[in-house]
Amino acid sequence: MFEKLQRAFWKALTPDLIAETVAAPVQNELSADVLSALGGEGNIKSQQHVALTRVRVQLQDVAELDAAALKAAGVPGVMVLGGGVVHLLTGLNSV
Amino acid sequence: MTATQPLELLAPLSGVLLALDTVPDPVFSSRLIGDGLCIDPTSQTLCAPLAGVISNIQDSGHAVSVTDDNGVQVLMHIGLDTVNLAGQGFTRLVQEGQRVAVGQPLIEFDADYVALNARSLLTLVLVVSGEPFTVLANGLVEVGQPLMQVSPGEAIEATDEEEGDALFSKPLTLPNANGLHARPAAVFAQAAKGFNASIYLHKQTQSANAKSLVAIMALQTAHGDTLQVSAAGEDAEAAIKALVTLLVEGCGETVAAVAEAVEAVAAVSSATLLRGVCASPGSAFGQVVQVVEPELAITEQGAGEAAERAALQRGLLAATEALQALQAKAAGSAQAEIFRAHQELLEDPTLLEHAHDLLAEGKSAAFAWNSATVATAEQFKALGNTLLAERAADLADVGQRVLKLILGVQDSAWDLPERAILIAEQLTPSQTASLDTRKVLGFVTVGGGATSHVAILARALGLPAICGVSLQVLSLANGKQVLLDADKGELHLNPDLAEIERLEAARQQQTLRRQREVAQASLPATTRDGHHVEVTANVASLQEVEQSLTLGGEGVGLLRSEFLYLDRNRAPSPEEQAGTYTAIARALGAERNLVVRTLDVGGDKPLAYVPMEAETNPFLGLRGIRLCLERPELLREQFRAILASAGFARLHIMLPMVSLLSELHLARKILEEEAAALGLNELPKLGIMIEVPSAALMADVFAPHVDFFSIGTNDLTQYTLAMDRDHPRLASQADSFHPAVLRLIATTVKAAHAHGKWVGVCGALASEALAVPVLIGLGVDELSVSVPLIPTIKATVRELDLADCQIIARQILGLEEAAQVREALSQYHAATVESSSVLEH
Repeated sequence: MFEKLQRAFWKALTPDLIAETVAAPVQNELSADVLSALGGEGNIKSQQHVALTRVRVQLQDVAELDAAALKAAGVPGVMVLGGGVVHLLTGLNSV
Repeated sequence: MTATQPLELLAPLSGVLLALDTVPDPVFSSRLIGDGLCIDPTSQTLCAPLAGVISNIQDSGHAVSVTDDNGVQVLMHIGLDTVNLAGQGFTRLVQEGQRVAVGQPLIEFDADYVALNARSLLTLVLVVSGEPFTVLANGLVEVGQPLMQVSPGEAIEATDEEEGDALFSKPLTLPNANGLHARPAAVFAQAAKGFNASIYLHKQTQSANAKSLVAIMALQTAHGDTLQVSAAGEDAEAAIKALVTLLVEGCGETVAAVAEAVEAVAAVSSATLLRGVCASPGSAFGQVVQVVEPELAITEQGAGEAAERAALQRGLLAATEALQALQAKAAGSAQAEIFRAHQELLEDPTLLEHAHDLLAEGKSAAFAWNSATVATAEQFKALGNTLLAERAADLADVGQRVLKLILGVQDSAWDLPERAILIAEQLTPSQTASLDTRKVLGFVTVGGGATSHVAILARALGLPAICGVSLQVLSLANGKQVLLDADKGELHLNPDLAEIERLEAARQQQTLRRQREVAQASLPATTRDGHHVEVTANVASLQEVEQSLTLGGEGVGLLRSEFLYLDRNRAPSPEEQAGTYTAIARALGAERNLVVRTLDVGGDKPLAYVPMEAETNPFLGLRGIRLCLERPELLREQFRAILASAGFARLHIMLPMVSLLSELHLARKILEEEAAALGLNELPKLGIMIEVPSAALMADVFAPHVDFFSIGTNDLTQYTLAMDRDHPRLASQADSFHPAVLRLIATTVKAAHAHGKWVGVCGALASEALAVPVLIGLGVDELSVSVPLIPTIKATVRELDLADCQIIARQILGLEEAAQVREALSQYHAATVESSSVLEH
């Protein structure tokens, strides 16, 4: 009960629970190769570093995502979720 | 005996493989839970890596373990710190005890929700039953693909159980420095195999087949663990005898002094837990780092008096410089004060005289200095007073510093590993000053108490610490993973995952709550139904006053005037005192209360410039106002100094330890005389501390003669329950939540309000968030709290309803004991917060 409230505040304060990743710069985190594999900068609605190892992007059109090109650009894992959300698994050292 | 096929574990998820060492969570990377792999998932359904039975599934759905028929147990833990999600984002598809096929879906999770709300999605796959394995994949894996090959051979080798009752050995303490790691475990297993009996090695509730190397290693024994051997079968007795001897002798490893180890067998405690006293709250999971001071070699005979005299002089000079540097580095902190005190010790004439006498006898500088400090420290200790005993520790510390300089011993900066939990008999300020505090997670000491340096330092750093732990803690192996739960005063030697996660979650919530409270500290402390409670600060210096204002303090509810000049050998001049009070009053301003408590000293709280006779029972002796009335000049002088600050703040004077009405009358008369002498036409408010039961019981008689009451719950509790709150055995029962103490508070408030006077609480009870509802419910008007807790207490008040508090307070007065009061308040707390979070939705 009390914990629930804490969690609500927690969520409100920071979408990611780790302070250092919140502070991490969001811009230009993705290389040009990765951007083009995602269909170009124009196809990206938002991007956010989350969960230590992932970059969460929201795409206008998921169809423009080129999985093979992403792999070639050095993104070992890709997870396509609903609503245009894609997780790029960039690993622990990407921050 | 059935030969067992190697077992293939299939990938429970698709994703990217990572080595366990790289996982940024020490609980897993230390392999405390078990060895295995980590997958950063790209699929959202966790499937069974092997066929078996669900041996455990967490309610929150973030972890599950499957055990197969041969006993191989695999734990899967989805994400890091996902226990905090309390089940959100996870759907359990199986029940505990259910049999599952390989590849069967076990848990579904919402990867996006978890990624956005938890620390990480990194999923652990651990073989917790301890069998060795080889990894069959790397890079990317697909769910269902072979992942690891487990060799269960040895773990279940001895399936031919001998029938009959098992015999048990006496418990014994494991002497091996690193526990039964591979080599000694192999020696032990080999010896066990020489017997027909079925033999088990037991560590608390766990046991392992003694003939299996892997099973023994999976017990994860550590130095000092308490073990037992059991055996069943015809040669059971011989087996136990031989194996116990082998264990005591170290299983082929050289162990420190076998005789000692045998002796330790006699004094076993079932030690998975060591207890101490909380010196600084909080919790931490980290590794043991033992702090040991090197022995210094001191030669007695000097090389000529002049040379030795010069050597001592150089040592003292170098130490003074070092201490000055340390003060500059720690400017403004409690530590700076400590080093300043140390510097003064270096100039102490008796100490120097003692050393010079020995030099004149031809002793070496090191010997002379060491003898002088040791002898003086012994004198301090012999006085049997806790505060002075702590100062003996200071003297030993400063003595050591000079000694090292004389002997040319370099103080090597500690090379601390990460996540260190420092363990020491006693930590000195010099040791802690050179600490890399970023690497320290907590402190555990054998000596010391709530006023020791390690306690002060730990509180200043916000790190957990416990003191008064048994000597056994000093024999824990370096690097052992332990869980320090300072709130409960416990050190867990074999912590389990659930406990670590619970405390970690609590710690994170604490941090978050603190941030929120500080951000809102300037808001008034008004209950939801509009009742304002004044939240003020307990302070002992101008610096603390300033700090309290930035943290939302609404005034000073207790200025402990005796602390202003604690380290003086002579009373400060009247001008100096007046200057201090005026500075504090100015800092507060004319709109805020300043409550100055007159000198509260006595046999238990000595003040150097107020010499007094030793008393057999100082707590019942000349303390507080009693001492001041015994030496009225002291009180007059203090009144004059305090009155100098009249007008700069709303000045209140408070008398401590009042038990008789006559004491109040006498003190008021002196105050009136001094005010008249200064030509003041308006007297400051005069109140008394309620800390003696007689004053609380007679509050209706006192009330017409005072302007306010302030309840000192610490003393009130120890006098009401007749329990010393520093008593090692009674301290935990000397609880201010006892209904008897709360009834006295109720009596006091009722009497005060009947005469239109206000009541504050300035004891430790006011600083406890749990106590706030009952204090408000009883009608307390002001809570004077320790400075760092001002935001917390204000936030707590804002969550409450006065009407509810009154109801709960009435109920609580009828309870039987402190534990029931705490329980009732905890329940009430949970309920209030639930309803307030409902309101927000």
